[in-house]
Amino acid sequence: MLLLLRKDLLVLKRSPLLLAVLLAYPLVIAALISLVATYVGAKARVALVDQDNLPKTIVIAGHRFHVDRTIDEVSRNVKLVRLTADEAERQLRSGQIVASLTVPRGFVADLKTGVRSPTLLLETTVGGIAPRVRQQVQALVYELNRRLQVAFIEQDIMFVELLLHGGSGKVLGTKFHIIGLDGTERILNQLPRGPKLDKIRDFVGDARKALALTDTAIRSTAHPIDLEEPPLRGRTWALSAQVQAYALGLTITFLALLLAAGALAAERDENVIGRLLRGLITPGGLIGAKLALAAVVSAVLGLAVAIAFGIIIDARGVVGGEPWVRLPLLALGLLLAGAALGALGSVIGSLAREARAASLVAVLVVMPIVFLGLVPREVVPPAGWISDLFPFAHAVRFFNSALYDSSPWGTLWYEALWLIGLTVVGWTIARLNVRRLVS
Amino acid sequence: MTDLPFLVARGVSRRFGVQVALEPTDLTVVPGEVVALVGPNGAGKSTLLAILAGALPPHTGTVERADGLKVGWMPQRPAHYGRLTARENLDLFARLEDEPDPDAAVERLLGQFELPTDRPSANLSVGNRQRLNLAIALLGEPRVLLLDEPTASLDPQQRARLWERIAALAESGGATVLATQNVEDLERTSDRVVELVEGHVAFTGAVAEYAV
Repeated sequence: MLLLLRKDLLVLKRSPLLLAVLLAYPLVIAALISLVATYVGAKARVALVDQDNLPKTIVIAGHRFHVDRTIDEVSRNVKLVRLTADEAERQLRSGQIVASLTVPRGFVADLKTGVRSPTLLLETTVGGIAPRVRQQVQALVYELNRRLQVAFIEQDIMFVELLLHGGSGKVLGTKFHIIGLDGTERILNQLPRGPKLDKIRDFVGDARKALALTDTAIRSTAHPIDLEEPPLRGRTWALSAQVQAYALGLTITFLALLLAAGALAAERDENVIGRLLRGLITPGGLIGAKLALAAVVSAVLGLAVAIAFGIIIDARGVVGGEPWVRLPLLALGLLLAGAALGALGSVIGSLAREARAASLVAVLVVMPIVFLGLVPREVVPPAGWISDLFPFAHAVRFFNSALYDSSPWGTLWYEALWLIGLTVVGWTIARLNVRRLVS
Repeated sequence: MTDLPFLVARGVSRRFGVQVALEPTDLTVVPGEVVALVGPNGAGKSTLLAILAGALPPHTGTVERADGLKVGWMPQRPAHYGRLTARENLDLFARLEDEPDPDAAVERLLGQFELPTDRPSANLSVGNRQRLNLAIALLGEPRVLLLDEPTASLDPQQRARLWERIAALAESGGATVLATQNVEDLERTSDRVVELVEGHVAFTGAVAEYAV
């Protein structure tokens, strides 16, 4: 088996173009997937139907809101385009927009008076990215509410300050002046003491202390949980653990599958398989050599990709850096995944009539395996179940855990057992089929 | 000749899909003899040789081999790695055949067959590829040679050397089964002829009795 492995590595070394294509092709695919992912993350087009003729500025609770600026600020995740109601309905039907957000008549008046909650109307298309847009619009409304809440809280606190210290104010356009608890206490102190007056004085004192705490209390009630977002210093998406694991998985899936399928079918093309199987090597040994080839090449090139990632991450000073000490674990995962993919490739190679057909079938097979593995199992559970039957998803989870989990052993054992199981199944099927290649 | 045969095939047959390549066939190969398999294209000669070599399992029947018998097989189409040189091919197969001294065996065969070693075997001429194919079959000091159209593509000098080699093997108590379309191969080397027609044995007997 080792002799055949050495032969295959020698043949591979003499095919630099093939090796370059096998390495470059998955990296190009990974880049394309990144582009698609970026496109998926692009802003969805949402109509803004303004039936209330929103003014440029609105004063609410003493705060001046610049409507256009506010929309620009809060619509970071969706592209809002102003449309008439009819046009919005037409574009919603044709799918030119994914949602329509209507500001009904009386919205600003309701907002200013606070007599009742003003309402925004959201209509979306069905399926596709509509759920994501719905979440984004909900986030938009949440952000608007948060800003308004801040204004209302400040106005409430201003009223509390007035109650406490006295002064002038304005409610629903009516101006007023109050003396506040401070003024009340001053007046009470000027009056002759007595039991009834002392009770009033005590009440005023308690009320002042209580109201003095109101500011913090109102703010904390409005924000029971505060989310703080420190300035971004983490990894960019392109250097994230997930992308690194996917890039490695994608690269070795292409490499191992095509290599094993092509190498086994090539034994037939070279007419050598009969010579080998007449006693020089067992069918299991022959398949084992192809598994070993896939595993060794996957480990070497996978580590090269991981090292390249690490150098970029370190050079850019990304927080957390590359987990260099985890590379041995990654190497183990690459070997296991390479063997499992090699077993699958050997099955293809044992069924194909020639190396070119085997390579073509391997490419056709690898695409759905990879794309199934990219579908989140929480979103489409059947995709996860099917994906579990192939090594790609297990390899990605192994790499991710090996590189970045603080306690990786549970995941590593689980995924390693899956990969070993898939290797045994693939090896068995290919071993039973390989005699078919002799004719 | 001795009474203990090297190879005994009993009722071996083979089909590929629905196509029958070889009907149940018997063949015995004894030490010191040279058997020629003749017949038209598609008669089943290559299939029978592959079955005798152990490369192809028969669908029916059995092949018995003498204990410890080493068999060399040369398939009709060259069977070696095109991206490896002749030396690398011989070295690989010498080690797979458990040659006691693979380096020496490689040097010996390279010299005997005058094979170029400076280029991948895919770039060799048709004749040189056939020589390499034959050289690989000779690795491991086989006592029985199974040769499929061995003289096709060989020049007269190499053909004469092959006949000498086959004769020497027979004289030393070895045996050869060769599939051939070449009358000269029959006359120069063979003791016995087995004619196959459409997967059946149509004739078996001495060369002198076989009317070409």
